[in-house]
Amino acid sequence: MDPSSGPIYLQLAREITRWIARGDLNPGDKLPPVRELARRFRVNPNTVVQVYRELERREVACTQRGRGTFVREDVDVDALRRALLKNAASSFWEEIRALGLSLEDAVAALEEVSCDRQLDRGG
Amino acid sequence: MIASLTGVVKRYGAVEALRGVDLELRKGEIVGLLGPNGSGKTTLLKVLAGLLLPDHGRVTVLGDSPRRRKGSIAYLPELPFLTAWMTPIGVEKFFRHVFPSFQAERFWELVRLLDVPPYPVRRLSKGERARLELASILAITADLYLLDEPLGGLDPVSRDRILRSVIAAWRQEVCFVIATHLVAEAECLFDRVVLLGDGRVVLDAVAEELRKRGKGVRDVYLEVFGDAGLPVA
Repeated sequence: MDPSSGPIYLQLAREITRWIARGDLNPGDKLPPVRELARRFRVNPNTVVQVYRELERREVACTQRGRGTFVREDVDVDALRRALLKNAASSFWEEIRALGLSLEDAVAALEEVSCDRQLDRGG
Repeated sequence: MIASLTGVVKRYGAVEALRGVDLELRKGEIVGLLGPNGSGKTTLLKVLAGLLLPDHGRVTVLGDSPRRRKGSIAYLPELPFLTAWMTPIGVEKFFRHVFPSFQAERFWELVRLLDVPPYPVRRLSKGERARLELASILAITADLYLLDEPLGGLDPVSRDRILRSVIAAWRQEVCFVIATHLVAEAECLFDRVVLLGDGRVVLDAVAEELRKRGKGVRDVYLEVFGDAGLPVA
């Protein structure tokens, strides 16, 4: 967590959303207990409570009294994945604009990077 | 509310260490008491612990004077307090004897979590000794935990273990006050930060509110105290 880049609870909510988008957590899975997640990230336990509340507000998670917080069965994993992609794309696009480059440059750069990565994986 | 200070002044001879401090400490909070050396952090903790009496003003813990609420307060002093021959088993016996609310089971859990070897204090490294001392204090059942520089002068691994053990010991019914000048290491742990400068509360803020404005606690700390406030090591 980087305390200079906005509230910790939003950063942590994004991280958990990423777990769901990647399939590390599936619909219906139980989220870690508050204290465990707090310990893992060395953050205040009240912040984790706030994270779970935020995920409930976004209809990603639900809390069952006495049982814990779960990923909702009806969560739209694909929508989460696309939202994260859009997020990554906007910061990439901001960088492109800041450098005074065009969409073509951006696409070319992406193609180049993905080619390199595929070669890395192959070799 | 767990504790409160109203207009607290504390003098050492001609030196005013606290110059009118107002503060409220609530259940479930982990409060970072931050400020450069000599800003009054230790004095404030000692006043809260009932080890020092204020010259002016009022201090209450659970509605009474700290001295009458001794059993509700667990205080980790900045300087080492365990004697050289004590092993973790000896520490357990000693603390059980002195503090009726000492939880042996929790103590051993913390000793494990903090990875303290079973040797006498004199054979422990500085970090191991600090971890053993913290385990002994966190194993006391209290409402108010006062930790004076629990991270000071320790290696990164010790610091990390200490942060995690504080989270392990945290409960919704208690309040932690952690005095430190190592702001960057500890800031994610705090609900609330109180910046103390020259014996006065310069800022009392909810940490996440500061971050909403794009500033970490460390950024704010530097704004208030300048580079002079940060430790060299």
